[in-house]
Amino acid sequence: MQYRAPVEAYTGTVREITLGTGAKTLKLGGETALPFHFFDQGSIPNAPRLALEVWDMPPKDWARWVVEPFQDVISDPVKWAQKCVACGADAVCLQLVSADPAAGDTPPEIAAQLVKAVAEAIPVPLIVYGPDDEKKNAVVLAKVAEVCRGQNLLLGPAVKENYEAIAKPVLEHGHCVIAQTSLDINLMKELNIKICKSFPPDRVVIDPVSSALGYGMEYSFSIMERIKQTGVIFKDGMTQMPIIANLAGESWKTKEAKEDRNQGILWEGMTAVSLLLAGANLAVLRHPETLRYVKKLFGLK
Amino acid sequence: MIIVGENIHIISKAISRAIDSRDVKAIQALAVAQSDAGVHYIDLNLGPARKDPIAMTEWLVKTVQTAVDLPLSIDTLSPVAMDVGLKMCKRRPLLNSISGKADSKEHMLPLAKKYSTEVVVSVLTDKGCPMDVASRSESIMETVAYANRLGIPNEDIWVDPILLPVSADQSQAKEVLEFIRILPDILPGVKSTLGLSNLSNGAPAALRGLLNRTYMMMLGRCGQYSVIADALDRQLMALNRGEMPEYVKLVYQVMDGESIDVASLPADARDYVKTAKVLTGEKLYSHSWLED
Repeated sequence: MQYRAPVEAYTGTVREITLGTGAKTLKLGGETALPFHFFDQGSIPNAPRLALEVWDMPPKDWARWVVEPFQDVISDPVKWAQKCVACGADAVCLQLVSADPAAGDTPPEIAAQLVKAVAEAIPVPLIVYGPDDEKKNAVVLAKVAEVCRGQNLLLGPAVKENYEAIAKPVLEHGHCVIAQTSLDINLMKELNIKICKSFPPDRVVIDPVSSALGYGMEYSFSIMERIKQTGVIFKDGMTQMPIIANLAGESWKTKEAKEDRNQGILWEGMTAVSLLLAGANLAVLRHPETLRYVKKLFGLK
Repeated sequence: MIIVGENIHIISKAISRAIDSRDVKAIQALAVAQSDAGVHYIDLNLGPARKDPIAMTEWLVKTVQTAVDLPLSIDTLSPVAMDVGLKMCKRRPLLNSISGKADSKEHMLPLAKKYSTEVVVSVLTDKGCPMDVASRSESIMETVAYANRLGIPNEDIWVDPILLPVSADQSQAKEVLEFIRILPDILPGVKSTLGLSNLSNGAPAALRGLLNRTYMMMLGRCGQYSVIADALDRQLMALNRGEMPEYVKLVYQVMDGESIDVASLPADARDYVKTAKVLTGEKLYSHSWLED
C-alpha cells in the first residue's frame, strides 16, 4: 500500500511588503505556507531577513564582547551602520535611544537629521525604532517621516496610545509602519483594525514584542505562531502582515548574556532561531557573530 | 432554558451599599424587576461575606422572599452565610456552589445534604481550572462521584464548566460548548449552569450583551439546562422565550459552518453572525470584532 504524505494547500497570504527604494529594496512576507514548511503546496517567496541594530548614542552598559565588533565606530551611528552592512546585515535597525526624555531627550529635528544621514549612507533599507516614551515617539517619528520623505523607511513602534499621530505622517511621506502590542494577540488584531481604517494594510509590519530565551520567549513564540496560522490557514486579514522580532535588546540585557561571551551569542542566537521558526519575517540582532551563525543555520545568503 | 437572575450581587457598588445600609426598597425593587422579567430563580451573590455574615444573609433572604415567591440561589464562599441562607429559604434552594477543592467538599457540600438543596458543582479543583474537555470531564466526574457518595443524586446537581472571558482565552468558549454536549453521556441525569456574563468580561461594555446572548443560543443547542444571567437584558429574555428564531437560525448556521451572505443581512442580524464566528473560534477575537 502506497503511503501518500498529506500535503496542505492553504490559501491565506501574508502580504508582501517592500522596504526601501530604488536599488536598495527588501521584500518581507508574501508566503502562503507556514514558516519553513517547504513540503506544503504554498509558496515562501521571501526568506527571513536579518538586521543589525545601531544606537544613536554610545551605549553605557553593554558587555565588552558586544561593543568589541563595533568599538571603533560606536560613537558614530553612520559609520556603525555601514559596518553592520559590511558584516552581512540585510537591513539596519536604528534605535533612537537618546530621544527618550529619560535619556538625552534629543529633539525631533536632530533625531530626524541623523536618521537621514544613516539612511543615505547605507545600501540597504533602514528600520527605525523611536524612544519608549509614546508621546515623544510620536513627534520624533512624525519629524523623521517628513525629513526622510520618499525613502520608504520602516518606522515604529506605533502603539494603541499614539498610532493615529504616527500613522498619518508615515503614510503621507511614503513609509511603512510597525504596529506594536505587548504579547497579546487580541490586542494586536485590535490595533491592526484601528490602524488599517486609514492606513494601507500592505504597509504594516507586526511587532508582537520579542522576549528573550528564559524570560518569556515562549509567549512571543506562541503569538507569532498563532499570527501566522490565523493569517495563512484561517485567512484573517488583520493578521496577514509580516512579523518583526526586535530581539537584540532583550537578549543582551539578560544575566546570561552579560556573564559570558559565547553564552551571550547563543542566547541571542537561540532567541532569534526560535522566533524565526515561529514566523518572524525579520529579526533584529546586535552581534555580527550571531548573524553569521543564524544565516548559516538557515542557509541564508 | 432556565434563567437564574444574577442582578443582586455584592460586586456592584450600588447593591453593596444597599445591603450595608439595609435598604429594603432598593433590594426588593431589583428582585421584583427580575421576577417580572421572567427569571426562574434569583441568585443572591454575597461574595466572601466576611463582614457580619449571619445578619447580612438573614436580612437579604428575608427581604427578597417578602417581595417575590421564587426559589433562591445562595452564592457565597462563606459556609456560615450559606448555612443561614439555605436554612431560611422558603422554597427549595440552589447552593451556588461547590467545587472539587478539598475545602469546598469538606465545608460546603455537607450543607447541600443537610438542607436537601439542589447544588451547583463546578469543575474547579485544588489544581486550578481545567482548560479542555477531557480535564473538565475528569475533574467533574470525580467531584460528582464524591457528592453521590454523600447521598446527593445527579438530578440535584447542576454542573458548572467555568466559563472564561473570550477576551482572555478565546478557545474556552468552544471547549465549554463541547463539554456541555457530552455531559449527558458522562454524567447521566445532571443539569448544567454557568455564569453567562463572565464570557464578556473585559469586552467593550456596550457589546457585552451581544456576546452573552449569542453564546446563550449556542449553549441551548448543546443542551444547556440553565444560565446565571442578566435578567434585565430584555433581548436575552425574549430570545429565551423563542421570540427571535431568525437570529437562532443564523447562529446555528455559523455553528454548522454554512456560508452566509452577510452583506444581505440587516445590521443586527449581521452582528449576531459576526459574534457567533468569534465564539466558534472561526474568527480571532478583538474588541472591534464587529468591524472586522
